Amino acid sequence: MTLSISNLTIEYPNASVFVGIDLEVAPNELVAVRSEVLDGGTSLLKGIAGFLNGVQGRVLLQGINLLDNPPTEVIYRIGYVYEALGLVSLFNVRENIALPLQFHSKLTHEEIDARVVAVGERFGLNESIYRMKPHELNDVQTRLVNLARALVVRPLLLLVDELEGGMSDAYLRDTIDAIREHQQQYPMPVIMTTMSDEIFNRADRVYRIEDRNLVQGAA
Amino acid sequence: MSSVQEEKQGLLGIVDAIGRFPREAFSTWWDIIGMISIALTASKDIFKPSQRPIFWELFKDQLYETGVRAVYINGMIGMFIGALMMARLFAYFPKQVLSTQYAYLFVVVVVRELGPLISGIILIARSATAVTSKIGNLRVRREFQVLHGMGINPVFLYLVPVFFAFPISLCLMLIYFDFICILSAFAVIWYSDPDVSFLPFLSSILEQISLNEIGINAVKAILGGMLIGVISIHFGAKATDSFEDISEAISNSTTTQLMAFFLLNVVLSLLAYTQ
Repeated sequence: MTLSISNLTIEYPNASVFVGIDLEVAPNELVAVRSEVLDGGTSLLKGIAGFLNGVQGRVLLQGINLLDNPPTEVIYRIGYVYEALGLVSLFNVRENIALPLQFHSKLTHEEIDARVVAVGERFGLNESIYRMKPHELNDVQTRLVNLARALVVRPLLLLVDELEGGMSDAYLRDTIDAIREHQQQYPMPVIMTTMSDEIFNRADRVYRIEDRNLVQGAA
Repeated sequence: MSSVQEEKQGLLGIVDAIGRFPREAFSTWWDIIGMISIALTASKDIFKPSQRPIFWELFKDQLYETGVRAVYINGMIGMFIGALMMARLFAYFPKQVLSTQYAYLFVVVVVRELGPLISGIILIARSATAVTSKIGNLRVRREFQVLHGMGINPVFLYLVPVFFAFPISLCLMLIYFDFICILSAFAVIWYSDPDVSFLPFLSSILEQISLNEIGINAVKAILGGMLIGVISIHFGAKATDSFEDISEAISNSTTTQLMAFFLLNVVLSLLAYTQ
């Protein structure tokens, strides 16, 4: 399940953000991309996930190009953790985490609930948080719920956008450890945009954004 | 620029301004027809076992918010109108005429026309504006993109429950309205003449309600409810970047719903009740 990105070009109507990115990420790897303000880190992740228009190139996962209308079975197993918002306000936290499984999988209600609780426990989510609506959560909780929802589907690929905002170093370390544990149990390539040294230290490879491409090394 | 060119530009501007309204109106109605077709297509997912419970929960919530919680406002307005109508009839008609004609008048005025119209207006004011605002907020908060990212069709979560709940709600609201109107009208009669009993009063009204009335009211509620629901979502989904878009969406949505619903009622009444 190696992620293979070739010649990825992301363009908006008025701006070219990335040109010709080539990158391979193995299922047990965590790649960190140093992302400064407004340098296109979020666009990179959304471009890889196939969320954007105006993206050219190839993003191959399990032999399927994510930029070419992949089947729903693949789409819902691309875990995307938004930097802000990203939850569905119609549902409470528990329903948000369960939503992709409930919508797409054939698991029973009990099996889905067991998965939600198992993932949620690792990130300190409890019954009172499960009952909350997205607008009642703070930024860190929102990102953790995003992360739990991404992991509960046992994703084929995990894309995380600036997880660290508002987290202490210790809390961030623990969260990265949880992602790493999950990755060992259910191998998946992970790409994180970040400005945090904690994440750089725990990543297998670090890139920075330079001249509309990725260059290895954080400095 | 020469004065001839300026004049040409001015003329083109006027033609453009005149043509803009029908063009925009046509485009809006084309979109609305498209949304009805999208809602019908997405409705087949209701039969998927994994998605049915999600739909059912959302549908129940929508029906409760729209159809059940409208009892209070529909009942209040029905009570005022029933009482007012009967009081005016007492004031304008001789008692002999009224005793034979009140049921017919009640059905012609309340059951055929006022019931559907006022229930529709309440649905627009109470629920459709809320739906437009909710959809607008979701658009501004990019929640549709989040759903697409999970392979979930937002139409299934937001449009389909409204598409089915609004017509049923409007049917319920019509029933509350007519029933409370009958009760309050009886209260006025009973106040004037305590010897009148309720069952003969009720049966004389029910005798006047034909299958035609029931059928036309059902068509008004089903088509009207669907139209109101789809229009509310159409305009909500047009909000894009700013919260100001949402207030504009609510205003445009309400105007279009009122025009569409009144037009539908007038056309159906003319078709059904013109001798």
